[in-house]
Amino acid sequence: MALRDFTEPALPRTNSSAARLVPVLATIIAAVLSILPLRIPGYAALTPALALMAVYHWTIYRPDLLPAIALFAIGLGEDLLAGGLVGIGALTLLVTRAVVLQTRRHFVGRSFPFVWAGFTLVAGGAMIGLWALHCLLELSFINPRNTVFRMVLTIAVFPAASFLLGRIQRALIDGPRLVRNR
Amino acid sequence: MIRLSPQLRAGIQRSTLPALILLSAGIVLIGKTDQTMFERFRTGLSDVAAPVLDIAARPLGAIEAALDRARGLIGIYQENRRLEQDNARLLQWQQVALKLTAENRQLQGLLKVVPDRAVSYVTARVIANSGGAYVRTVMVNAGTEGGLARGQAAITGDGLVGRLTEVGSRAARVLLITDLNSRIPVKIEGSHTSAVLAGDNSERPRLLYVGTPETLKIGDRILTSGEGGVFPPDLPVGVVSAVGGSGPRVEPYVELSQLSYVMVVDYGLSGSLPQPIQPMPRPGKRAKVASNEETQAPPRGTR
Repeated sequence: MALRDFTEPALPRTNSSAARLVPVLATIIAAVLSILPLRIPGYAALTPALALMAVYHWTIYRPDLLPAIALFAIGLGEDLLAGGLVGIGALTLLVTRAVVLQTRRHFVGRSFPFVWAGFTLVAGGAMIGLWALHCLLELSFINPRNTVFRMVLTIAVFPAASFLLGRIQRALIDGPRLVRNR
Repeated sequence: MIRLSPQLRAGIQRSTLPALILLSAGIVLIGKTDQTMFERFRTGLSDVAAPVLDIAARPLGAIEAALDRARGLIGIYQENRRLEQDNARLLQWQQVALKLTAENRQLQGLLKVVPDRAVSYVTARVIANSGGAYVRTVMVNAGTEGGLARGQAAITGDGLVGRLTEVGSRAARVLLITDLNSRIPVKIEGSHTSAVLAGDNSERPRLLYVGTPETLKIGDRILTSGEGGVFPPDLPVGVVSAVGGSGPRVEPYVELSQLSYVMVVDYGLSGSLPQPIQPMPRPGKRAKVASNEETQAPPRGTR
């Protein structure tokens, strides 16, 4: 079984140009979802960083299909629409990509808890970095309570997002064979 | 497609990410130093994205309505009891209000009071929120085409929501009263002491520069003062929920995380604009004047 996998072309369906757009589209949808007005008390402040999850997932498994320039555009668009400081979302996504690219060889092919632990570090680092940056730019101490809650929520939601993204990846991009190999 | 040598292509690929990171950091700094720099992009993108967000937000509304209905069914008996009691109490209040209105009209007639300017409202749906811990804004699906202009107040039936900071042709952004950059001139009901309501991204904004802080009590009602000419006076804002300690705080009347519709009040002031000479300017025209001359309501981040 394993032998046959090695001898066959590894990525059977990736050449379809529509499928190659899936990671970018998934990240755009994640970014849009995080600014939709869900009327849950306090939700706006605690919205999990969905785009961050998409970036983490695709940068580990298919960094070629989610290029830096796409992250720049998505981050910038989200900043403009969300009304925050322009550029800060793009910066977050790009730094996340840089960090994950450096370390992705430790994650590819590993079990999910390991990937989740990696995400905890990445998301935690991103949230704390964002908080520090905002404190610096606003020249005031911002209460870190919301940041902590948002971090916890983001990490807690990641398994569901990861499952969904994995399914999408299997169905549309890589095909079932490669995933069994993982 | 241009053929590049493998080395060159690898070089470009390697340097794209660092270059974009530096570019983003540069944009953050530029945006921080010049607040108005990206405003045109913001309103432009909002206008383009508004129909998409509008459609995307609709299923959410339907799901929420269904959940509400289900929740309503569970508590329908208690709800009915509560509403009956409320109704009985409100009928008494109605009598009081009618009596006071009549008396008020009579007294105003006696004193020859200049009547308040007629106020018109535009109702708009919330199509996006800011999604993050550092900004408190919402986007609504109306803009200059609907007669909105920068600086106008956004309210719900309960009270003040915020102020319009960016207005495109089809979408506008409301800076909520809880945002770090929101400053609203308010007064304490009864005592007529003025103060400034300052958001700090928490659910309860702070009350600054209270004239006579010793008279402030928990439960005091806070209204807009109308000072500065940005807001109409006497819009309900909230109640004082904490005094002393780290300073007084106000609990807004409006549940700001559950906004679905807001009303934008056109008080004929639109910031501190000079009154237009024509009696009835077209909405688009007035909006243009607003974006050129409006200076009273500074954009985000002016501190």
